[in-house]
Amino acid sequence: MAKKLEVKNLIISFRTNNGTVKAVRNISFDLERGETLAIVGESGSGKSVTARAIMGILAKNALPEGGEIIYDGQDLMKIDEEDFHKIRGNRISMIFQDPLSSLNPIVRIGKQLTEAMILNGKANQREAKRVYNDKIKLLASEMKEAGVADVDSKFKIFNNVTDDGSKTERDYLYNRERIESMVKNIDGALIDSIDKEPKVVAAEMKRIIKDSHNIYNPFLIKEGDAELHGLLAELQNAIPAYRKEGSHEQTDEILRKMREPLQAALDLPKPDFYAMAYCKLSNAMPEFNGDIDQLNAQMKQTFNEQFLNDFRESVGAGLKNSNDKAFSKKSVIVESLDTALSRMKEGERIDLKVAKEEAKKCSTMIEDSLDRLSIHKDSVAYTFKSSINAAVDTYQEALKVEKKRHLNRNQKLFKDRMDIDLYQNNIRLDMIRARDSFQEQLGSAEQLNYEELSDEMVEFLCDEASKREHEVTKRKAQIRAIELMEEVGIPKARERYRQYPFEFSGGMRQRIVIAIALAANPDILICDEPTTALDVTIQAQILELINKLKVERKLSIIFITHDLGVVANMADKIAVMYAGKIVEYGTADELFYEPAHPYTWALLASMPDLDTKEKLDAIPGTPPNMIFPPQGDAFAERNKYAMQIDLEEQPPMFKITDTHYAATWLLHPDAPKVEPPKIVTDRIERMKKLNEENGGEING
Amino acid sequence: MAEKNNMQVEAHDKASELDRKLRVDNYTPNFDPSKEPLLRVEHLKQYFKSTKAVDDVSFNIRKGEVFGLVGESGCGKTTTGRSIIGLYPLTDGDVYFRGKRIGMGADAVKRWKQKLAEAKAAGDTAAVAALNEDRVVHKDLMTKIQMIFQDPVGSLDPRMTVREIIAEGLKIRGIRDKQFIDDRVSEVLEKVGLVPEHAERYPHEFSGGQRQRIGIARAIVLQPDLIIADEPISALDVSIQAQVINLMNDLRDEMGLTIMFIAHDLSVVKYFSDRIGVMYFGRMVELADSDELFAHPLHPYTRSLLSAIPLPDPNYEKRRKRITYVPALSHDYTEEGPEFKEVIPGHFVLCNTAECEKYRKEVADIDANAARKQ
Repeated sequence: MAKKLEVKNLIISFRTNNGTVKAVRNISFDLERGETLAIVGESGSGKSVTARAIMGILAKNALPEGGEIIYDGQDLMKIDEEDFHKIRGNRISMIFQDPLSSLNPIVRIGKQLTEAMILNGKANQREAKRVYNDKIKLLASEMKEAGVADVDSKFKIFNNVTDDGSKTERDYLYNRERIESMVKNIDGALIDSIDKEPKVVAAEMKRIIKDSHNIYNPFLIKEGDAELHGLLAELQNAIPAYRKEGSHEQTDEILRKMREPLQAALDLPKPDFYAMAYCKLSNAMPEFNGDIDQLNAQMKQTFNEQFLNDFRESVGAGLKNSNDKAFSKKSVIVESLDTALSRMKEGERIDLKVAKEEAKKCSTMIEDSLDRLSIHKDSVAYTFKSSINAAVDTYQEALKVEKKRHLNRNQKLFKDRMDIDLYQNNIRLDMIRARDSFQEQLGSAEQLNYEELSDEMVEFLCDEASKREHEVTKRKAQIRAIELMEEVGIPKARERYRQYPFEFSGGMRQRIVIAIALAANPDILICDEPTTALDVTIQAQILELINKLKVERKLSIIFITHDLGVVANMADKIAVMYAGKIVEYGTADELFYEPAHPYTWALLASMPDLDTKEKLDAIPGTPPNMIFPPQGDAFAERNKYAMQIDLEEQPPMFKITDTHYAATWLLHPDAPKVEPPKIVTDRIERMKKLNEENGGEING
Repeated sequence: MAEKNNMQVEAHDKASELDRKLRVDNYTPNFDPSKEPLLRVEHLKQYFKSTKAVDDVSFNIRKGEVFGLVGESGCGKTTTGRSIIGLYPLTDGDVYFRGKRIGMGADAVKRWKQKLAEAKAAGDTAAVAALNEDRVVHKDLMTKIQMIFQDPVGSLDPRMTVREIIAEGLKIRGIRDKQFIDDRVSEVLEKVGLVPEHAERYPHEFSGGQRQRIGIARAIVLQPDLIIADEPISALDVSIQAQVINLMNDLRDEMGLTIMFIAHDLSVVKYFSDRIGVMYFGRMVELADSDELFAHPLHPYTRSLLSAIPLPDPNYEKRRKRITYVPALSHDYTEEGPEFKEVIPGHFVLCNTAECEKYRKEVADIDANAARKQ
């Protein structure tokens, strides 16, 4: 399995009027593809803060003090807001606790579901246009530098081809979409005719007929297709009789017949519109006899022979020119990074002036060296500036605090000292990472294949050209939204699409929120107490739904809750958090059958199950004040198994098995042997017995 | 010296007199908990326009027990609690507390008028007297029923100190003696696990669990007989939930409280209650002792509710199959409508005659199975 998300040594604090609240204190975990990680803890344990850090929606007074959240090769703690827009909601989505307040009460459900799709669609169009124009401009100038002849005339032809090609493609897709919508509506009408009033179904049929005006395209259904026209006319005539008498056999028959040619049209292969555009422009259009594959092959041959092969070669020359320039700069950068690192030696206090100077120098150089033509962005180089600036800023801050601390030595005001060593190391780490990555690139410079790269480039440009014309229409978004609503188990999705949030029950509302979160097809779904506001039966349904979606879409899920009972069914791995730290981490089986940390015991003991009779072991007291986190184990104060060392020193993570860790001194070899509370051992005993009984039944 | 002693005695007398003022026996001297239930709810109906929030619910609560009321949100369990305490005018039904009427529905009044007219026409003076006595609604008894609310933030006035919040009920009862009020406030604060110094603070200075303790203190300061606890723990953290449950359990033993416990978390209800009523869409569908209910869940809705409880046991969770309850598929009420019937002693289910027979057979089967296993 591949790691989707890695959180390493995350430290987050919040500045408040009363002091710095240490909300998350050095936690690490990773999330694999298709896996559920549950984070369990009381309110104020830092579980939501962790989730918000991953989403990049921390409050303004948050102070990310260190650590990394690595997703897709990028550190989410360091990338700037502009880049985060592309990830938040699209790749990482979140479901919030309260289904009431996450929906807009005065906007219909359908609008709320499709809004983002349509807006994103428009933004993508603009972005594609910009990228296309930029790339063409850069490419042309590089090609001229490389000494390619007739650059302008070549690009003129290419621009014409993409222009015409993408427009024809857009028209084709528009017609195809209408056909798709017709098929959907026919299916809907066939189902509805069973139990709906004829009036309603007749309206649907009329909509089908209306749609049919815009479906004709030479490569799908030809204009004047006699069979379809006949069927449509038949349907038109049959509607009044159906409305009057209500017998749906005749109309059903027509609809079924109509569906066949439409579905067949949808299954046809797609023509190569760019080759077609070239053939049209050069008046070399081959004859179309109905076989699209054959047509494609013929057109492609003409296109390649007369234009594209030559064009690709010139593009390759341009790319090589640009790359060579970038590499010559990169070798200089590696040198200057080395000098910078030699000025900031490990283990010594870095001079702030030197740090600032070097950071500025290196980041301008790196910015200058960026190869803006390459399709795959080099994440290290692109994020270097923001990341090193952030590191230098926090370092400066830390130095300031330290200075004030020295001045006010007698006052206890500046108790919250910042870890200077950590910050100055962050600066060095950023530089080392950049140097290593550039060195690696320089090493592999010889192996670059410009033929492949230029192929990729042309394809990329064509893609951007069609994206430029690709519009997410309302209708397209609606089809997708209704599919999503059906997927999350909302019955009669086509009707409910037009309703307002108040017309939905709590569970249904939470399903809508899940559907919205899924609309962009994310990799990672973060659920922040999604069922706390719901009651048992609805909770069970929502949990089942999330589990189902996880399997179907291979989602990775982070599930935050305070209820251990809920996660037994959901989680592959569980992290128990207390006072900003992970105190126990393991698979669900390990955590429930062999819990090791006293806090986990206490959580298990404090909730009754159906067989509990004895007095509950409540956890006394309240969680500690995180402005002054306790020196030793944070749970020691409320822990009846606490030892002297718990009050003095923080326990490290002890390894129990390869997947099971716990931070408690009880696991130290010298610690006395302690049994979990009776209520917990009894329950585990009972669960094991029950499992054996049931296991026996299955086997026997 | 003697004077001082006298003053002390006087103060003591006064305190005990005020104390007596708060005691319930003064109102209902003839009440005998061994014969009569503490609270009797008969055919309670609460309609909001066309919504039947509570539809024909009857149950008794015995003195000293914890009566759990469960059901999904919107099934009318909170409305039932609020109707009993008189927060809504009843549509229909009778509510008796310690044998005296504390609530009468609008439709019940109509019926009563008809009966009275009939009795008068028949010249039955005894019946007329009995009817007249039955018509009296003892609103003053209502102070002996107190409520604990779900939301510990919203249920405390942010502009009042804890002392004012807790003493408000005493003041409304007409007690003006400052010393007495202070003593009582300190006493209940200690009882719920806070310290008397907390009385001068405002609610926002407390954590959620502590606020719920203040809510409990406010409820017990009037020495109630019955406490209606409306989801008192569902807004609290897990570790605090156990503290509050333990506190309520202690208070119940100490003060001899009777508690009506409204919740949707079945594991907690099972742990805390002696008897449980299950509500679905405004109707009580099943009512039994808590062990009996979990040993023999009979109504399909109760079964679906039980099958939805998540447990901290991954292997069990993998096996757990949730049962869905669809009323139209589960019951056939075309011939005979359902009634609240006693299937086996002490176990009531909403069913018709055919279903009742079926349920009895199922109970016998379950018992036989269990016996065979042993």
